[in-house]
Amino acid sequence: MQPILALEGVSKSFAGVKALKDVSFDVRPGEVHALMGENGAGKSTLIKVMAGVHAPDTGEIRVNGAVVRFASPREARAAGIATVYQELLLFPELSVAENIFLGHAPRTTMNALDWTKMRDEARRLLDELDSHDLDVDARVGSLSVANRQRVEIAKALSQDARVLIMDEPTAALSDTDARRLMDVVRRLRDRGVAIVYVSHRMPEIFALATRVTVLRDGAYVGTHDIGAITEGELVSMMVGRPVDQLFPKVDTEIGAPILELRNVSYRDEVEDISLTLRAGEIVGIAGLIGSGRTELALTIFGITPATSGEILLDGRPVTITDPKQARDLGIAYVPEDRGLQGLIKPQTIRENLSLALLDRISTATIVDRAKETSLAKELIKRFGIRARGPEQRVRQLSGGNQQKVVLAKWVATEPRVLIMDEPTRGIDVGAKAEIHALMSRLAGQGLAVLMISSELPEVLGMSDRVLVMNNGRIVAEFDRDAATPDSVGTAMMQTSANDAGAAKAEVA
Amino acid sequence: MTATLRSLLRHETILAILLVLVLFALASQSDRFFTTANLLNQGRLMAEVGLVALAMTFVIVTGGIDLSVGSILGLTAILLGVFWHNLGIPLPVAMVLAVFAAGIGGLVNGLIITRFGVPPLIATLATLALYRGLAEGISQARSVRGYPDWFFVLGQGEVWGVPTQLWILGALVVIAAVILGLTTFGRATYATGANEIGARFSGIGVDRTKLLIYTASGLVAGLAGVIFVSRVSTTRSDMGTGLELDVITAVVLGGTSIFGGRGTIIGTVLGLILMQALKNGLALSGVKGDGTIVVIGVVLILAIVASNLFSREGDG
Repeated sequence: MQPILALEGVSKSFAGVKALKDVSFDVRPGEVHALMGENGAGKSTLIKVMAGVHAPDTGEIRVNGAVVRFASPREARAAGIATVYQELLLFPELSVAENIFLGHAPRTTMNALDWTKMRDEARRLLDELDSHDLDVDARVGSLSVANRQRVEIAKALSQDARVLIMDEPTAALSDTDARRLMDVVRRLRDRGVAIVYVSHRMPEIFALATRVTVLRDGAYVGTHDIGAITEGELVSMMVGRPVDQLFPKVDTEIGAPILELRNVSYRDEVEDISLTLRAGEIVGIAGLIGSGRTELALTIFGITPATSGEILLDGRPVTITDPKQARDLGIAYVPEDRGLQGLIKPQTIRENLSLALLDRISTATIVDRAKETSLAKELIKRFGIRARGPEQRVRQLSGGNQQKVVLAKWVATEPRVLIMDEPTRGIDVGAKAEIHALMSRLAGQGLAVLMISSELPEVLGMSDRVLVMNNGRIVAEFDRDAATPDSVGTAMMQTSANDAGAAKAEVA
Repeated sequence: MTATLRSLLRHETILAILLVLVLFALASQSDRFFTTANLLNQGRLMAEVGLVALAMTFVIVTGGIDLSVGSILGLTAILLGVFWHNLGIPLPVAMVLAVFAAGIGGLVNGLIITRFGVPPLIATLATLALYRGLAEGISQARSVRGYPDWFFVLGQGEVWGVPTQLWILGALVVIAAVILGLTTFGRATYATGANEIGARFSGIGVDRTKLLIYTASGLVAGLAGVIFVSRVSTTRSDMGTGLELDVITAVVLGGTSIFGGRGTIIGTVLGLILMQALKNGLALSGVKGDGTIVVIGVVLILAIVASNLFSREGDG
């Protein structure tokens, strides 16, 4: 069958850096073509070329065999190419129906908006997506991420999209929502829509895709039928080398207690938490979204100071009322949302790396630029941050490299307690293994590590001890040997059948 | 290093070129423009706006705004007159007290913004009315005159041939440039403006930074108020009305992003000089007041558009 959208020999540079080198890609009606690669491999740029956001420097784009040049995303949409980005581009204050038909709403003969038709059409589109439960009059801002995503897909369909590009659609979804989304993708595929599907999740790729194309460092590596390739082969295509052991946990000697919490609470979000973190120990916290894991970290770090209970450092009681105090006491927090909480994205790598330790590289409050630059250079090297240099802006880096900047910035403060919240969310296999190895190394140097993660394999693979949180409390504790997917999984779900359901539905 | 320097100075470079062009154009229009006497006199006239603009640069870099500076200036002027004339406090003490009161005014702005989370635009719009109202209430529409001669040194005198207030402005320009450009406090200011949450999560005292900046904004407006009184020899309650607009224009013209996170003192100084040169030069060339405002508006838009065009960066 003839491809509906084909790219041939496409190259694109930004400020002299090649983001895409001679990449070819095509997608046929009724297939799901997966696009894979590490962060920074050029997937986002390729998507943006297809969506008309970037014009390629060389190479051509064909729609149904005819060469086209998109001057804007609007022209790509008119050609039937719709994109659902990771950051959803909806208007939170408008209703579901208004969002779907924004810009191409049905009109009455008087040229006024035809509200009845708009709502009926929106209903029909959502029903096609098997989303009968979604109210067309609901305000989009009140919906969960999963539902907003369905609105975005319905919007694409309302414009008769023949090609649908989906950029990591399941990254922010719970397992149940992800499965529902995959059903939607299958429906669309069966209706003859061509789908370009970007994801890091292997099981999804193998369950959905017809073909898979891998990019590495902006270059085309290869395209395969999904039946003709194994997961291991895919990973080595992406990384360009055999992958190291996935969870390189090294056994280290566990030392004296560093951080102790005694009956710590914050309002009703964190309730009566007691725990001890020892030098050299990695303690994993498992739990569903909304179980109080992040809230506990925020309380220890002083963003939401404890309302009752006691925190001890080296056996001495301390009060932590803001992050500055926590930092000065040697507590570091690598936050969940790196874009918002972890980085100052418009600033340079140098400025980001020094932000948490400015006092140490300044004399009489004047920042020593030479010291700062050499610190940045050293950290870039030590953490393997792929960048043009310390003066590159952080927002130009890929997700994995941004995460390394956050980690480097905090490790550079030489903390004694390192709290990591979802340390590998949304980053690729290669960078993930590097961050795990680093975590292991830091624990080996005597740091106490508290790791929060939604990925059970990560928690089980990296932790010396696993704590399970539910409804703001610690409900179970397992030693490394006793922590199995079954035991931890059961503890995560138990007693929460009633309230966790509600938490999961809207907290996401 | 050179790359940042280039990107930092890009707007400032455009502005400097623009300034040179404007100076040449104005000098060719009127032979009275490019004289030492006129230039020094213009320096005298722009000192008050300039002082306030220095602090305003910090305020806008944090992503905030301070609309109350004109009212604080007026309130300081009134308090100076009342302290000295009505309460009989010695003039030097009255000057210090008046500036101190201005600092309190700024601190109140900062507290409303940081403690109660009121957006700076709303908070200072409210205190703009509040402080002006206080000034009018206290003054009862009476002006204070008859200050001693030594007091006029500040606003009308010269030191080594240069107006006194230009020395003060110069000193504060250097101090402000060092603080914003080189110190940890400057870094905290930029980080706060670029991403307040990220700054807080990095252990930056965001609230403390803002409190200090709004307090400094009040103090500087107070200082400008004292200089104003000294320059015009009288105290009236409507002094400094509309000052905030001139100040904000100079800062924004100087390349400080109204969204926060970006801006320099050098830029503000260039913006200030450009604005004053246009006002004076156009007046000398026979352009009426309304025309001058139109020209300043057009220059402001052109400068911002030009720097946006040149500073576009790929997002990779």
